[in-house]
Amino acid sequence: MVQDVARPTRLRRRLTIAFVLVAGASTAILAATTLLMVREARQRDSLDRAEREARFGLRLAEGLGSGSDLQQFVDGFEARGVHAVMVEDDERFDSDPQVAPPIPARVRSLAAEGQLAYARLDVGGRPYLLVGGRPLGSTSELYLLFPEAAADRDLDRLGAVLLLGWIGTLGLSGLVGWLVARRTLAPVARASRAARSLAEGLLDTRLPVGTEDEFGAWAQSFNRMAEALQAKIDELTEARARERRFTSDVAHELRTPLTALVSEAGMLAEHLDRMPPEAERPAELLVADVARLRVLVEDLMTISRFDAGQQDVRLEPVDLGSVVAATIRARGWEGRVRARVGPAELLSDRRRIEAIVGNLLANALEHGGPDVDVRVGTADGWAAVEVRDRGPGIAPEDLPHVFERFYKADRARSGGSGLGLSIALENARLLGGRLEVSSEPGRGARFTLRLPVTEPLRAGDGAVASQREDGATDQGGQTS
Amino acid sequence: MNEHLLLVEDDGSIRASTTLGLERAGFHVTSARDGREALATFQREPFDLVILDLMLPEIDGFEVCRQIRRDSAIPIVMLTARSDATDVVAGLELGADDYVTKPFDLPVLIARARAVLRRASGDDQHVVIRVGDLEIDPGAFSTHRGGVELPLTATEFRLLETLARRPGQVFTREMLLSAVWGYDYLGDSRLVDVAVQRLRAKIEEDPANPRWIVTVRGVGYRLERT
Repeated sequence: MVQDVARPTRLRRRLTIAFVLVAGASTAILAATTLLMVREARQRDSLDRAEREARFGLRLAEGLGSGSDLQQFVDGFEARGVHAVMVEDDERFDSDPQVAPPIPARVRSLAAEGQLAYARLDVGGRPYLLVGGRPLGSTSELYLLFPEAAADRDLDRLGAVLLLGWIGTLGLSGLVGWLVARRTLAPVARASRAARSLAEGLLDTRLPVGTEDEFGAWAQSFNRMAEALQAKIDELTEARARERRFTSDVAHELRTPLTALVSEAGMLAEHLDRMPPEAERPAELLVADVARLRVLVEDLMTISRFDAGQQDVRLEPVDLGSVVAATIRARGWEGRVRARVGPAELLSDRRRIEAIVGNLLANALEHGGPDVDVRVGTADGWAAVEVRDRGPGIAPEDLPHVFERFYKADRARSGGSGLGLSIALENARLLGGRLEVSSEPGRGARFTLRLPVTEPLRAGDGAVASQREDGATDQGGQTS
Repeated sequence: MNEHLLLVEDDGSIRASTTLGLERAGFHVTSARDGREALATFQREPFDLVILDLMLPEIDGFEVCRQIRRDSAIPIVMLTARSDATDVVAGLELGADDYVTKPFDLPVLIARARAVLRRASGDDQHVVIRVGDLEIDPGAFSTHRGGVELPLTATEFRLLETLARRPGQVFTREMLLSAVWGYDYLGDSRLVDVAVQRLRAKIEEDPANPRWIVTVRGVGYRLERT
């Protein structure tokens, strides 16, 4: 199984961030422009008003005397919310001595030339607009100070509102972006799930086509691909099933004449010594060949049952060492096989273990000669049977193939069906175990059967009951 | 001697060679080629043993087995296609005593036939064994409960007798296979399990919760002491 490297939420996050960035930048530009324009407009308004007031004030100041007249004149401005300053020669008359800013030299010089001049000042931390000029026919100058604090406060408030709005927009756009991304990417997530379930073998998985957009077209292509895949796999499965049925049928059809052959050869074998000499040898060969044919047909039947999944497992407490010892005893190999047996108890199928061990030993004796070692033991939750011979071993190029059907490394010598190790491997798998081989050419081969040591669950009648349940799937009809 | 044996087998070659082999082994063999002929022959003549192929045209071996068992405890050895298929258990549940898997060696079939015939022949001893309200008479080859004879097959009878001779002792399946069926190595433990079930069905009040023949988890079976 391939590990999922891609993180399914990453694209959604990226889309959301892009959405927030676009929304944030555009609203920020909009807010800043608004703030600037409003500020400019307010300042222009304030200046226009100040100019009008100043021109009016200058007109009033025409023809004023000096001294206390001037002081009285500037005091009159206080009532209108404006501070005024009259400068005559080097003498200043302030309407409010507490707000008495120095008049910038540039403003004074412009005013002295008879122009209306202005400047923005900061007096005691408050912003003021200073406008001044020289009344007609006078040597004095009138300066008016308009407070602008209120206008600045308004602008600050507007700025704060815009900032809050911007933050709100960011949040909202994030949320909307996430929702839209999720909704947009939903077909992708669906397709991803569909592809995964296809990979897991649910070949009838299809995508809803739904909308007539890119995703819809994609879903259609996906579905066409899935259909093609399903058709192909069905075809292959059917071909494979046909092939297996054929193997099974051949084996079963061969079995009937073989049964008669085995009986007849058996009877012939009993009377070999009473045959005329010219018939004895062919009869002997015939008997041996019938025995070989029998092994082949029985192995073929066994393997076709594995292919059809018609094998049941009868679990019972098994002492691995005693099974190995019994196998050696039953086949009369006591003098040829050395067994070193440690304790190994597990819940398994005794007859299948017997079949595997019997096959491994027969194999070792056939290829490795009489010096065969068997070791039984447990390690790390596995019970193991190791069969070791001191024969010529298996060539490295043959080693990966020894469990393949009909694979014979040494075709000239092998007397078996070529299915023995395949069957042993199938049996080992059926028991949840493993069968491994290693070999050093010239120094022999080593086969190791490993079986999981499981806790005994139940025994006695349960074994028969479970066997029958398993067998219920076995519907293979045959002729006898 | 010369036990009379009914061989039911549809394939001509197998029938001919098996008949030949069994006759050489000293049996008197009558053969039938299908289920109908088998049942007709069985009604007509007395037999000591039936060797029955399960896959038969028209009436199959299971049905033949069922009909024979309806009113006869005659030993039956099945010929089956495969040892691990359901048909073995199905045949045993119908009351067959043993089975041989095709292709078989004639000596094996002959040994199975002799073993099951031995089971069916009475003993010399006339010591009646009593277990609870059961009376087991190995000499008369009969089992009674309250004066009524229980219809046990030879295998079921020998199984009960074996257990009853040593009440309270646990018998492993291997021990029972050896004592009752005559297997000296690696017989099929299903033979024991199915025979125990059939025996329970005949002698227990509630076969699902046996009072007499109890299962010893992971070991085998035991007949309770009274």
